[in-house]
Amino acid sequence: MSAVISARGLTKRYGKQVAVDGIDFDIPAGRIVGLIGPNGSGKTTTLKAALGLVPFDGQLTVMGLDPRTQRDALMQDVCFIADVAILPRWLRVMDAIDFVAGVHPRFDRARAEKYIANTRLTPTMKVKEMSKGMIVQLHLALVMAIDAKLLVLDEPTLGLDIIYRKQFYQNLLEDYFDENKTIIITTHQVEEVEHILTDLLFIRDGKIVLAASMDEVGERYVEVMVAADKVTAANALQPLDQRTVFGKSVMLFDSARAGGVSRAQLSALGETRNPSVADLFVATMKGTYA
Amino acid sequence: MNTMKWLLRREFWEHKGGFVWAPLIAAALMVVLVGGLVGYGIASGKMHGDSISVQVDGKEVHHTSIAKVITLEKRADMASIAANNYIATGAPIFFVLPIVGLFYCLGALYDDRRDRSILFWKSLPISDTDTVLSKLLTVLVVAPLITIGVATAAALAILFFAGIATSSHGVNLFGAVLTNVNFYLAPLYLVGMLPVYILWALPTAGWLLLVSSWAKSKVFLWAIGVPLFAAVLLKWLDYLLGMTSGTTINADWIINNVLESILLGLIPGTWFSHAGSALPQPTSSGVPLLPMLTYSWSTLAKPALWAGVVAGVAMIAAAIRLRRWRDEG
Repeated sequence: MSAVISARGLTKRYGKQVAVDGIDFDIPAGRIVGLIGPNGSGKTTTLKAALGLVPFDGQLTVMGLDPRTQRDALMQDVCFIADVAILPRWLRVMDAIDFVAGVHPRFDRARAEKYIANTRLTPTMKVKEMSKGMIVQLHLALVMAIDAKLLVLDEPTLGLDIIYRKQFYQNLLEDYFDENKTIIITTHQVEEVEHILTDLLFIRDGKIVLAASMDEVGERYVEVMVAADKVTAANALQPLDQRTVFGKSVMLFDSARAGGVSRAQLSALGETRNPSVADLFVATMKGTYA
Repeated sequence: MNTMKWLLRREFWEHKGGFVWAPLIAAALMVVLVGGLVGYGIASGKMHGDSISVQVDGKEVHHTSIAKVITLEKRADMASIAANNYIATGAPIFFVLPIVGLFYCLGALYDDRRDRSILFWKSLPISDTDTVLSKLLTVLVVAPLITIGVATAAALAILFFAGIATSSHGVNLFGAVLTNVNFYLAPLYLVGMLPVYILWALPTAGWLLLVSSWAKSKVFLWAIGVPLFAAVLLKWLDYLLGMTSGTTINADWIINNVLESILLGLIPGTWFSHAGSALPQPTSSGVPLLPMLTYSWSTLAKPALWAGVVAGVAMIAAAIRLRRWRDEG
């Protein structure tokens, strides 16, 4: 299976500012990829380039098409929610459904209506009468009913309460996702998506700092609850990060690093476990705002 | 084609207020005013006061004897005038169109960039060409057709009240008007002028859509201010040149031909303004509509029109191109 998105030397400059700095990556089909990075790291710019919303330098193909010149063809199979869901204020729920049903050949009206039935939205309601959360609900209902091969979600759940966020990710995994679809998610609420992701892309200052599947991440990174008497020995092994929980040192190790130590060796220092993506992220991005 | 249908419907949902309600309210005001006057006149007997008299064939005739003086032939004349000209009473409604159209064009490719909902429209399989063309069709075809419909309805209502007013003096014109073929042709003549309107309005629509697609803010200022300032600048330059070297850059010609056509094209009937003696002259039975229509179509022979069309098409192409790459941050 060829890559859904393939980037080689993808670069985007805004004036003198380099937003994306010559990155390479491949995203195969049938994956749910978390594109994770701090504010201003180039996440949104990368996605905009892939969606044909901004011009860029370097090579980038999305489902075999160049988003710069073949955007109209591309949009038949791609759907996205950009940043914060913003719908036009005058739009009514029923008109929105009619419109998308009218212009999108892959839209499933019954499915959209099913999602909307689970909310407090009514058919005659206008966007300007909705709370922020309701607007997002409408937008998500529309997009989830589109059978797109590539779905890009840029902060899809901003403004939603925890109940709806959990529900949304569950729907995404159970109803929407299948092996022919690819989903790219960016979010700051990493802990809420990590259980549905299959791959991770960490981006920092316009560069990819980590690209791995969740399985690889599980193999490679080890978190150790270091016993008090072994702290000095553990420190000598150069942990990526170290924090203290209830008086105990918790250290994060990269076993793939040159000169890194194996999981078996680490388990001699104390109890080992897989780190959470959030902890891994914080450790990787150390010094970003320094 | 299906996509275009939905895009047009989309524009209609968003701009019902301007394109439907504004002319409807103008029409309702006019009809209520005329209806009220006629009703008040009849009810209060003002039309039957002793002092009221009218001129018929240069002779003063007291209103009570109007019905006797007006011969059958005269009635046919009156009916013909009514049937030929009633549509003109809807004229004020046509002045709503360019104002609504101007603000529509300015917002068309700007408002959704400002509130960022453009990202929603761009997430659907709609090309930028279709989007821009749907806005152009809305302002040049849909809106004028709605206006013609509303203006015709208003004119009919006013004609009806006028008929009641004459009837109250014993002069019943309804039958004669309804059997006059021009009564039915009048709205069709208006529709027949629509293609001419589209061509003359194209440079203005193109310019406004271009600014709407390009401006990062202050669309109105750019769209109106730049041409006005250019006009002032040209006049000033012309004046300076005239003072110093006695030459001219023909500022008035540029202002009349270029700046007018990118600012005033949305006003219906601009093509009559430079007609001169070619304009059909009003006769005793009013302004005849058929010669107006024929004259309108004859303006298609003017090179200035086609220069404007070419410029309009180029500006629309530029607007599409800008729409494609404007980054909304």
